Amino acid sequence: MRSIILAVLFLPVLFFWEGEKAMADDLVAWGKHIAEAGNGKPGNTACMECHRLTGGGMPSIGGPRIAGQTMEYISREIREVQQGKRYGPVMAGVVQNLSKRDIQAVATYYSQLSPPKVSDIHTPSPKLVSLGKQIAHRGLWKKNIPACIQCHGQNGYGVPPLFPYIAGQNRTYLLQQLLSYAFLKRKDDPQGLMRGIAKRLSTEERKAVAEYFSSLSPPR
Amino acid sequence: MIQRTLFQKGLLLILALGLLTSGSIASAESPEGTSRFFSPPPEDSIPSGPFGDLVRKGERIFTQTRKYAHPYVGNDLTCESCHLNRGRKAYSAPLWGAYVLYPRYRKKNHRVNTLEDRIRGCFRFSMNGMPPPSDSETIKALVAYSFWMSRGAPVGEKLTGRGMINLESPKRTPDPFSGKKVYAARCALCHGLHGQGRKSHGETAFPPVWGARSFNQGAGLFKVSKLAGFIKMNMPLSKGDSLTDQEAWDVAAYIDSQPRPKKP
Ligand code: HEC
Ligand code: HEC
Ligand code: HEC
Ligand code: HEC
Repeated sequence: MRSIILAVLFLPVLFFWEGEKAMADDLVAWGKHIAEAGNGKPGNTACMECHRLTGGGMPSIGGPRIAGQTMEYISREIREVQQGKRYGPVMAGVVQNLSKRDIQAVATYYSQLSPPKVSDIHTPSPKLVSLGKQIAHRGLWKKNIPACIQCHGQNGYGVPPLFPYIAGQNRTYLLQQLLSYAFLKRKDDPQGLMRGIAKRLSTEERKAVAEYFSSLSPPR
Repeated sequence: MIQRTLFQKGLLLILALGLLTSGSIASAESPEGTSRFFSPPPEDSIPSGPFGDLVRKGERIFTQTRKYAHPYVGNDLTCESCHLNRGRKAYSAPLWGAYVLYPRYRKKNHRVNTLEDRIRGCFRFSMNGMPPPSDSETIKALVAYSFWMSRGAPVGEKLTGRGMINLESPKRTPDPFSGKKVYAARCALCHGLHGQGRKSHGETAFPPVWGARSFNQGAGLFKVSKLAGFIKMNMPLSKGDSLTDQEAWDVAAYIDSQPRPKKP
């Protein structure tokens, strides 16, 4: 008798739990579909064309690695591109028709992956890498620049949810973003933190940190 | 077809940026600022040999305190959490400003304090830990690091940028409620809405500003005026001197109104 009552009491809970899980699975499946084939609306291109299905990115065209960035960060960046707050000339042409749910789905999908690093097209210069390492770990306090790893985490692995990892990102993309913060219209960084830092770096220093972080392995 | 053009767009962009980097941008840079503060010797000038080894050890303890001085640390902070840029940054009580002023009298305990005493105090209160014995290797290394960093500084002089800044008294009594708003807008991104700090792969990235893993009620920063001065010149990280004085007072009042370990 008691077990029947218990069962009756718990069944709905069980269904609810199963339901939640199924919905989460659905979300990831839909995210993967968008990554592979787009959401079917005009003006949307499959993410894999530029980020690969596994999210490893395409160094040859400066397509960033996005696998393993947090769900919050990925969706935030897409929304900011849609709203025009983040300079993203390529992305702006392909994500306008993503709905809120589409964004959540594709962000969840990519946040769960960790493919191996896609090798960069470029051989790093030892001199720049060593200057970059110095800046990354000690900063340039004369210009009020803290060590990059203070905000991007040990080894540049990111500090969830909103400080992206930069270790193992491709060099072309890293350099482009530093330039976008410094001179173009990437204006979505909280409190202008990254804009200030990118502006205060010199041309050589920007190259150096891009070389250094792209020479590392991505997290996990 | 659509994809094709997008790819081309991407390539063009890269080329354009490439041109930008090599050309006009260089002229937009400002020359390296000349400092009005004492400049401590560069890190690569630490000598080799036993003295240099002790200095380097001091630097490691200073920046990775839990790892290198484990028995004496009771929270998630390091010495660098409050003495920024490895104890070099002006107005975060830099070591070069400290070394030349000790021994000296302090009202807090009504006696003449040595630098060793002062450092042990920071272990006890700011690090919420156990002070290492005065003759321990830990203290010797930290003193050697401070000594090396003050090389060339005039002894007994109060250098510009030493200690922390004393803000003028606020126009209105510091108000934790206004402070909470400042905190949410300017601090929570890094220190967390509940003051808990943030971790990256298990390591503390942003230190907790209140709660069980932060400094205790005996620490210098538990005084609202001291904390306001620290925040004004140093926080948000890389944006020092961007809060108004009143905002610094208010957010300090808010932080010091939150729970933290008692004074031992
Ligand atoms: C045509 C190529 C292309 C397609 C398709 C594309 N992206 Fe991008 N993506 C880029 C480029 C290039 C950037 C860098 C910003 C820019 O230049 O627009 C970028 C940036 C991003 C970023 C920011 C990364 C960071 O570290 O800040 C995210 C997130 C992202 N894309 C997700 C997606 C998702 C999800 C899709 C599919 C819905 C997608 N992208 C489709 C090329 C593309
Ligand atoms: C004071 C904190 C802080 C410091 C120090 C800092 N960053 Fe950042 N950085 C940020 C934040 C916050 C973002 C995310 C901004 C956004 O959402 O647009 C960011 C974003 C970036 C990005 C874009 C990443 C992407 O995936 O699109 C790059 C590249 C970057 N930072 C490089 C650096 C380098 C190199 C340094 C050291 C010279 C550095 N950062 C130091 C706060 C910081
Ligand atoms: C929670 C913040 C905090 C931490 C962590 C901390 N300190 Fe301090 N420290 C202070 C404050 C506040 C003062 C007083 C500055 C003043 O009164 O101008 C101070 C003063 C000092 C002084 C004397 C400076 C002077 O100019 O008189 C030394 C030396 C010092 N600390 C060393 C250390 C060492 C070594 C550690 C790590 C074991 C450490 N501190 C950790 C906050 C901190
Ligand atoms: C961009 C990230 C960032 C922001 C925003 C920021 N801080 Fe910090 N804060 C840090 C870091 C990193 C440290 C430790 C410094 C170090 O290790 O070099 C720190 C240290 C501190 C400390 C001393 C150590 C401790 O944990 O008690 C206090 C107090 C503090 N911050 C208060 C604030 C206040 C108040 C604000 C908002 C006005 C703020 N911070 C905004 C990153 C930040």
